[in-house]
Amino acid sequence: MFIRIEKGSSTPISRQIAEQIRAQCLSGRIKPGTQIPSVRQLARDLAVNQNTVLRVYEKLMAEKLLDMRHGEGTFVVDRLPRNELKALQVRFFDELTQVTQQGRLLGFTADDLHSLLDDALTQTQDSSNPTDDVSHKQKTGDPA
Amino acid sequence: MTSPAIEIHDVRKSFRDKRVLDGLNLTVERGQTFAFLGRNGAGKTTTIQMLMGLLSLDQGTLKVLGRNPQQQPLEVRSTVGYLAEDQTMFGWMTCEEIIRFVATFYPTWDHSLARRFVDQFEVPLKTKIRHLSKGQNVRLGLLLALAHRPELVILDDPALGLDPIMRKEFNRDLVEHLQSAGTTVLYSSHLLYEVEPVADVIAILHNGSIVRQSGTDELREQVKRLILEPDAAARISGDLKILDSRTLSGEVVLVIDNAPSAIPLLREADFTYRLEDLSLDEIFEAFVVGRPPAPSTTTGTAQPMPVST
Repeated sequence: MFIRIEKGSSTPISRQIAEQIRAQCLSGRIKPGTQIPSVRQLARDLAVNQNTVLRVYEKLMAEKLLDMRHGEGTFVVDRLPRNELKALQVRFFDELTQVTQQGRLLGFTADDLHSLLDDALTQTQDSSNPTDDVSHKQKTGDPA
Repeated sequence: MTSPAIEIHDVRKSFRDKRVLDGLNLTVERGQTFAFLGRNGAGKTTTIQMLMGLLSLDQGTLKVLGRNPQQQPLEVRSTVGYLAEDQTMFGWMTCEEIIRFVATFYPTWDHSLARRFVDQFEVPLKTKIRHLSKGQNVRLGLLLALAHRPELVILDDPALGLDPIMRKEFNRDLVEHLQSAGTTVLYSSHLLYEVEPVADVIAILHNGSIVRQSGTDELREQVKRLILEPDAAARISGDLKILDSRTLSGEVVLVIDNAPSAIPLLREADFTYRLEDLSLDEIFEAFVVGRPPAPSTTTGTAQPMPVST
């Protein structure tokens, strides 16, 4: 599990960690049932306060993405929760709305925005996961 | 009942006619990692020197692990791990010699822990202190501060003079060796982005007193940038804790310290607004150089927003 922390960002560290773990779980980059580092280990690796990591894990457990099994460790749940995906989709729509609003401020018409979305769709068509690194060649079942 | 690790109450201190601390209040609970932030010359080092009993105070009270460092400086120093800003050690001693030398002052000195730090910090035992690099010097100082297993560690700008790699390692040491052992840590810094990942609590020292103390995440929740139209700003400003206000191209750009309670009001009034997250640097800036619109930014009376250009 690779997590990158941007120091001095306007996004709080806890949110940076939570978002990256969440995205990696939901995109299937970390397979269901996989064991992930313990709170202590991740805190050490990232040089981040253990309480911060603990809060993130607890939050993701409440979202039913992670499972802390006593004495065994922390795992990605075997079955990903559908409502979590739903929540992410809702948030995606919120963000899209904001972007659309920005587009309007930039003077794009509705038609302009439609064709821009078409362009974006074309550009992302071939990559199963745009956040993946470039070397990621093999294609697994596309969750589109 | 255990007392807090550090209690500072209404401390005042002047050097000649320059007032450095002006009613400083601060409490550090046991087990916390407490970041003490302020601009250069804000009084961080002065405060720390008082905590160590190295400097007298003009007024107020101050307790370290339940003791008064002015009256019991030796007791305090034997239970606190202290790394001074730009710590100077006997340059003619080798690292090994100073470790042996310092160990004799502490009944609680843990030789095996010291050896572990030697390995981990890559302390060159045979090298004379005057030949150490800045980073090695800090790490040696840290070893000396930690190997007697203090309950409380006070570090005065430990990141000063460390390169980015070493700063990260330092943060890792803090997380791995101190936080996990439940040690209380107070450390000063002006590198906010280095402090944020490790601190439980952040306190901002400005003009001789603490202008804000908060949990890191909580501070981010509360302090945000709010951008809205001038007439909307004028109508709502009485309900906002405004740290900074400026008008840019017809928009009022505020930094507020009560975002969660402001959001429902903004929604209710149906104002068009934007709310943005701030980096810790920006939050710090708002507290120390922000210009609020009027002297009374506290609760109560709605005040028209002075719109400057």
